[in-house]
Amino acid sequence: MNSSNGNGSMSTASSSGAWNGRDQFPAGLRVLVVDDDQTCLMVFEKMLKTCLYQVTKCNKAEIALSVLREHKNEFDIVISDVHMPDMDGFELLKHINSEMDLPVILISADARKQVVMKGVTYGACDYLIKPVCIETLKNIWQHVVRKKARNTF
Amino acid sequence: MELVQIQRRLVDYTKSLFMEGFLDAQFLQLQQLQDDSNPYFVFEVVSLFFEDSEKLLNELTIALDQPNVDFKKIDSHVHQLKGSSSSIGAQRVKNACIAFRNYCDVQNIEGCLTCLQQVKQECYLVKNKFETLFRLEQQIMASGGSVPTIELGF
Repeated sequence: MNSSNGNGSMSTASSSGAWNGRDQFPAGLRVLVVDDDQTCLMVFEKMLKTCLYQVTKCNKAEIALSVLREHKNEFDIVISDVHMPDMDGFELLKHINSEMDLPVILISADARKQVVMKGVTYGACDYLIKPVCIETLKNIWQHVVRKKARNTF
Repeated sequence: MELVQIQRRLVDYTKSLFMEGFLDAQFLQLQQLQDDSNPYFVFEVVSLFFEDSEKLLNELTIALDQPNVDFKKIDSHVHQLKGSSSSIGAQRVKNACIAFRNYCDVQNIEGCLTCLQQVKQECYLVKNKFETLFRLEQQIMASGGSVPTIELGF
């Protein structure tokens, strides 16, 4: 994965000694986080920045979609809330899946099985229940690697 | 009051908020995100929450006052409040929202009205608790001290 801003790439994370996935998360992972609630968005942004990721935040799915379209290949992963007015997380997910090759993680306070199932069947690479802790976010890079590996082989 | 005494008071007060269920582990997450580069992070997030929750509670009050109650809209607002309260660790507010949604699901107006009052009450209570907390923190910082951190598992 090449990060043009030089904040570190996947290769630096794995080059130093024994692989300890727990403590070495890749800095510079380019994340787009979408949530209409500004409290949640502020917490996510801070957590993701603490993980040394490059964070872009957005409070509307339509804006997120146009950002992704205009800046293709500038993001590694999208994290989106499910319940948002106008376009919701499922619709955003459908658009992203059909137009680009990005892993999408859905997040919601809604833990109902049918909603989680919908997320999974629509193609979300993960579905996280709010409140999300930073330890979970430290591992999201795995979805980026997994998707790339699938595309290669 | 001596700095050490205020610091002890803050620790005891924060612990009591956990004991009484006002706060949960998510609040510790927020505190751990705060550092020298952003020393008011918790204060800012909590303030933002109360700004937003006030709007949501007003919307809910109006929505429940309509001749034809739009339960979908109410559910959406309560869901949002549940999400944001859980994000700052405001456990009692979150739990009140869960109860609220249950009454919403069965379209029980009386139940919803009771729950709305409960959510308002919990927001009011936890807001006061946070104000005391931040006041103690301010006193400590003004005295040149550092805010003690709480360890989980006390």
